[in-house]
Amino acid sequence: MLKVDDINVYYGNIHALKGISLEVHPDEIVALIGANGAGKSTTLKTISGLMRTKTGSITLMDEDISHTDAHKLVAKGLAHVPEGRRVFLQMTVQENLEMGAYTQPGYVKEGINDVFERFPRLKHRRNQIAGTLSGGEQQMLAMGRALMSKPKLLMLDEPSMGLAPILVQQIFDIIKELHDAGTTILLVEQNAEMALQIADRAYVLESGRITVSGTGKELAQSDSIKKAYLGG
Amino acid sequence: MTFISNLINGISLGSIYAIIALMLNFAHGDVIMIGAYVSYICTTSAGIPPILSVVIAMAVCTVLGILIEGLAYRPLRKATSLAVLITAIGVSYFLQNSALLIWGSNPKTFSSIVPFDSIALFEGKLIITAESIVTVAVCIVIMIGLTLFTKNGKMGKAMRAVSEDKDAAQLMGINTNSTISLTFAIGSALAAVAGVLLCSAYPVLIPTTGSMPGIKAFTAAVFGGIGSIPGAMLGGILLGIIEIFGKSYISTELSDAIVFAVLIIVLLVKPTGLLGKKINEKV
Repeated sequence: MLKVDDINVYYGNIHALKGISLEVHPDEIVALIGANGAGKSTTLKTISGLMRTKTGSITLMDEDISHTDAHKLVAKGLAHVPEGRRVFLQMTVQENLEMGAYTQPGYVKEGINDVFERFPRLKHRRNQIAGTLSGGEQQMLAMGRALMSKPKLLMLDEPSMGLAPILVQQIFDIIKELHDAGTTILLVEQNAEMALQIADRAYVLESGRITVSGTGKELAQSDSIKKAYLGG
Repeated sequence: MTFISNLINGISLGSIYAIIALMLNFAHGDVIMIGAYVSYICTTSAGIPPILSVVIAMAVCTVLGILIEGLAYRPLRKATSLAVLITAIGVSYFLQNSALLIWGSNPKTFSSIVPFDSIALFEGKLIITAESIVTVAVCIVIMIGLTLFTKNGKMGKAMRAVSEDKDAAQLMGINTNSTISLTFAIGSALAAVAGVLLCSAYPVLIPTTGSMPGIKAFTAAVFGGIGSIPGAMLGGILLGIIEIFGKSYISTELSDAIVFAVLIIVLLVKPTGLLGKKINEKV
């Protein structure tokens, strides 16, 4: 479904991604874990076209998208829930969802109903400005907004960030549900424990390089991973 | 009666500020000036009817706005806001000096495009000019139109999304470049309207005609709350009233100083403007 082959990405002089290659197969949940500043978010931004790679290629469903504009990728089935959620704070919940369906004008009504079914809390707040929502609600809105584009591959950047543990569990349950409903997921997380529990496969990123990869189970049991990311 | 007459003049001047403030960028004042010149040339040299000259001015300014955006601002999309600000000042000087080259420094006397007579009330004690009525009416129509467009139109909503967060808008599939072009096109067409209305009320046209109204419209936008359509309207009208009242009751020389003092006070007391909302980002 997605194949990233040897990408090198720079912020000015800083070499942020040093030859990253990874693959996401249809119907998988793939996790990308690693410490702050390892390059996880940069990897997602490069896939979704917000940043550019100097080398290598990115292939989405057999099409080279390395040089495709970010806004054109949405219609190709790629959705990216960015770090920090980035909902439109001055727009209402409903308007945020409408923006999500920008490339799917025929899907607005049905999509909003689906999102409200999945996230009933958003339904009660549909006419509220997104800036007034709690952090957890904003995360739900960001995910719901991404679903409005009917994605085939959903990329989530730190969906659990800053959320209370009970909400983290809820967000991960929703990710599993989305996966069961047929969405392929690429998940970036600092919460490695939760991520490895639901991931089919995972990559560990360290200062711009992939150092370890394997199935979620393998990594969860690996001693070095335990030490570095799972608190013992 | 002078009070009421001042009030009407203030509202009318403020409506012009409001039109400019609705879709603001820094070189806007000079687009106003270009619009006024185009309309002037059309009516005086080519004998085109005034209303048609406004349409031509709007078309020219629309193209100009798209060009300015594409040539000056688009290459700076990822630059710091300071670089963009300096570019805006450059664009402003470029437009003023181009006008100076093309039309010279001699003031042109703009004849009003409003074909109606003034209305005299109370046995001639209160005179309302047709220009002020038309200006206020046009401002209201534009405000309602823009509100409907940005609240209900798909492109209008996309504009709001882009103005709030360009990256997130791209991730929705919105083409930010074409959306920003459209914003400049609409803003510049409105600037042409504002230029013609301004020069109909204050008929002296020189290459720097637009710069003061441009700055005042910016003040109005900050005053009312940046990004809010009713805010721009309220800020513009209040500013117009303050300016005219300052002129007639305090001092003609000080009226601009009073206007900018208002800006400073608003920035100190309520940095988000009268109708601006402060939304804290949640982490």
